[in-house]
Amino acid sequence: MTDASKTDAPDTDERVKEMSSFRRSLIRPELGGMVGTIAVFVFFLLFAFDSGMFNSQGVMNWSIVSAQFMIIAVGACLLMIAGEFDLSVGSMIGFAGMMIAVFGVVLGWPMWITIIITFAICIAIGAVNGYIVVKTGLPSFIVTLAFLFILRGFTIYIPQTLENKTIIGGIRDAAEGDWLGAIFGGKIGGGLFEMLGNAGVIATFERGSRMGEPVVDGIPMMIIWAIALIVFGHVLLTKTRFGNWIFAAGGDSEAARNSGVPVNRVKILMFMFTAFCATVFATCQVMEFGSAGADRGLLKEFEAIIAVVIGGALLTGGYGSVLGAALGALIFGVVQQGLFFAGVESSLFRVFLGLILLGAVILNTYIRRMITGER
Amino acid sequence: MKNLITSLVIGAAVLTAPVAATAAGHSELKYVLVSHAPDSDSWWNTIKNGIALAGEQMGVEVEYRNPPTGDIADMARIIEQAAASAPDGIITTLADFDVLAGPIRAAVDQGIDVIIMNTGTPEQAREVGALMYVGQPEYDAGLAAGIRAKGEGVTNFLCVNHAIQQPTVGERCRGYADGLGVELGNSMMDSGTDPAEIKNKVLAYLSANPDVDGILTLGPVSADPTIAALQENGMAGDIHFGTFDLGEEIVNGIKDGTIAWGIDQQPFLQAYMPVVILTNWDRYGVLPGNNINSGPGFVTANGLTKVEEFAGEYR
Amino acid sequence: MADQSKTPIIQMKNIEKHFGAVIALAGVSLDVFPGECHCLLGDNGAGKSTFIKTMSGVHKPTKGEIIFEGRPMDFETPRDAMDAGIATVHQHLAMIPLMSVARNFFMGNEPVKKIAGINFLDQTKADQVTMDEMRKMGINLRGPDQAVGTLSGGERQTVAISRAVYFGAKVLILDEPTSALGVRQTSNVLATVDKVRKQGVAVVFITHNVRHAMAVGDRFTVLNRGQTLGTAVRGEISPDELQDMMAGGQEMATLEGSLGGTV
Repeated sequence: MTDASKTDAPDTDERVKEMSSFRRSLIRPELGGMVGTIAVFVFFLLFAFDSGMFNSQGVMNWSIVSAQFMIIAVGACLLMIAGEFDLSVGSMIGFAGMMIAVFGVVLGWPMWITIIITFAICIAIGAVNGYIVVKTGLPSFIVTLAFLFILRGFTIYIPQTLENKTIIGGIRDAAEGDWLGAIFGGKIGGGLFEMLGNAGVIATFERGSRMGEPVVDGIPMMIIWAIALIVFGHVLLTKTRFGNWIFAAGGDSEAARNSGVPVNRVKILMFMFTAFCATVFATCQVMEFGSAGADRGLLKEFEAIIAVVIGGALLTGGYGSVLGAALGALIFGVVQQGLFFAGVESSLFRVFLGLILLGAVILNTYIRRMITGER
Repeated sequence: MKNLITSLVIGAAVLTAPVAATAAGHSELKYVLVSHAPDSDSWWNTIKNGIALAGEQMGVEVEYRNPPTGDIADMARIIEQAAASAPDGIITTLADFDVLAGPIRAAVDQGIDVIIMNTGTPEQAREVGALMYVGQPEYDAGLAAGIRAKGEGVTNFLCVNHAIQQPTVGERCRGYADGLGVELGNSMMDSGTDPAEIKNKVLAYLSANPDVDGILTLGPVSADPTIAALQENGMAGDIHFGTFDLGEEIVNGIKDGTIAWGIDQQPFLQAYMPVVILTNWDRYGVLPGNNINSGPGFVTANGLTKVEEFAGEYR
Repeated sequence: MADQSKTPIIQMKNIEKHFGAVIALAGVSLDVFPGECHCLLGDNGAGKSTFIKTMSGVHKPTKGEIIFEGRPMDFETPRDAMDAGIATVHQHLAMIPLMSVARNFFMGNEPVKKIAGINFLDQTKADQVTMDEMRKMGINLRGPDQAVGTLSGGERQTVAISRAVYFGAKVLILDEPTSALGVRQTSNVLATVDKVRKQGVAVVFITHNVRHAMAVGDRFTVLNRGQTLGTAVRGEISPDELQDMMAGGQEMATLEGSLGGTV
């Protein structure tokens, strides 16, 4: 109809006030996360530098905890931008872990089949979540709250019925040598860490059967998964048309529908993706620890949502960033573990968390006012 | 305005005090106790007091850590974190062997002394390379309780389990059933942790099963609402009622005859002893030659004075 | 003024729409020529919304026929209507305030480029096109990433209209685009309508404001209680007559008498 590239009007217009680059940089969803990350690291470098927090083991410790949060935060972030919540994430983690234990240990299926089937079941449950929300128009808060109880109930009931206990172990043995199990529970970069250990850069075991080996002997796959999911989520959200649909579905689903965005499909897919992330979390966890327990993942849904909000996403949907959510998860993990290192009474962790959350939400509201020009 | 500034300064001091206190009190030895209990479990307050007193008496630094929601996987991270901060010793429970064995063994291999307390077995403690086990073997305690209850005429029982997700706690019910010489069957109730829910579940169970003549609760969380339930349906003092652990309500129950006895695993000792033992081990190289059984001890109406005085604090 | 000798681009013939026992449309007919602005007037509840939703594929007519470019059409979804070239700009809900103008402009029609066989969003193209199209309509953006929330209501309508036209709308349905706007912004939107009409797009302009209709309309159709009260050509009808028809003639005359001719 029109060929836009041929118009050669000047790119600037003197009537429009130039925005200061400072103000401009403020209008980024990641801003809160960036400021928070710097503040948190400065704090712990001052108060916990010689506590072991920044040696190889300490870094690995808060990195893994942060990576855990990141995995579920990426899913929760995309879902929140698409305008929905999933409160069943924590229960899904417990449920997925228990499914792996039931199929892999109780029924003795090969681990790779077990993992694939568990993923299929959990993603299907995510789809059901999404389908109910989309079809009934009920708030996702209520629908997924129902699944929080349903899944947790099954997670306790199934192992109790089958095995008379609520923790099923032996998953590590069942996953021994399994290719798919290694993708979730393995470690990479062992050679590098051995080199560093031999060179005396990082700590090694002082006794026992592993004497001389480095204490940190590789990067757990959980961290690799976290990075992969962040990259995937970020590219999906900002560099594809589907990403635009996610923003649109959460910003104003009616307007998006009017513009031909398949809002229902987007939302259901995001529920499925959130379930996928929860299952990745659960699979990595049971592969590492070798057992599935009925109490795994308690309250993780809120931790995911908190990380996403710290990362600058709006609870009302339509605005946010995967990178921001990842930084939010990093802040969460570093503060949680760092307070231990700094020797702060652990019950105060919640106080810090509450303060960070409050600060983030206030900052987010301010940023949104700037974006939309509300006064 | 001046008042505001003063209160702000005080507020800031309160917030920074925990940081300052540990930074200033740089003592030579440092021990970390890691539990599996969620923040909501008040029973562990005795443990906190126990290590605090031991730390004070021995002149060492002690810390208490727990996963806020009781998630054992989070607890494993805390043990890893504790190991990374290189303390002289770690005192920890072994709530899930599969999950915790790895991190504990790694800590031991790094040269950190570990004592297993409370949950776990002497065998498991040996397997992860811990110095010793301090606690009350769960099954044995349950068995002892069952044998005693059988002697007191119990034939049919209800076990109120508020911690169904912890298999070791369930062992108490199993032991109790074996002590009575009956099948566990569905006598074990998953009560949840909400007091009102527990009370109503107990009431419902008792009216549905009139032949039940004995109740076992597994701690104050399930015992306190059960006392209330029995007072409500008038079975208090009539039905045989034994419980694990002590607390203010339980002590009152023992005194007024609602509860026959409380099994004291003496949590104070579980916290106090490991700190003392680790300190002496690090200072003088001396170590007791065996595990320490802190319980079971049956607390009846006789000799309640000390218990009453220190319930919830050191008992 | 539209060339009446041409064939209409869209014809709605005796459209009826029933919702259960309620008859929302009881046989409405209307046709629109390319380059014409056809105003659809009617009071609240006259059936305007139902009618345009039928036209844009949201509702299926209970009875009646839609003939688009000479062929009978049967729209299953709004997407079908959109693909055929019937675009709707809604009263509200046209734009998402938190999203940038460029992202809004291409919402649902994002340009893609293939990198390593995967479709990625072509942000450069989206930004370029948005800036150019906005400039043509007289809106100067700070940048393509400016959020729509910072635009005025009239500017938002203009973005929505130019978006529809850019994506090849042959029939543009404007659902009360001026109802919530101030005087100045209204005239901006009406100017946009005029520009679009001159490009040969058929415009269906829904309003209950006679003055706005008279400003741009070529023909006027009045709906009342789900029925057409007739179509008038510009110049053959006065604003007062239109107003009367909208309110259902008789009642309005009575009411006007009692109010002393102030309405």
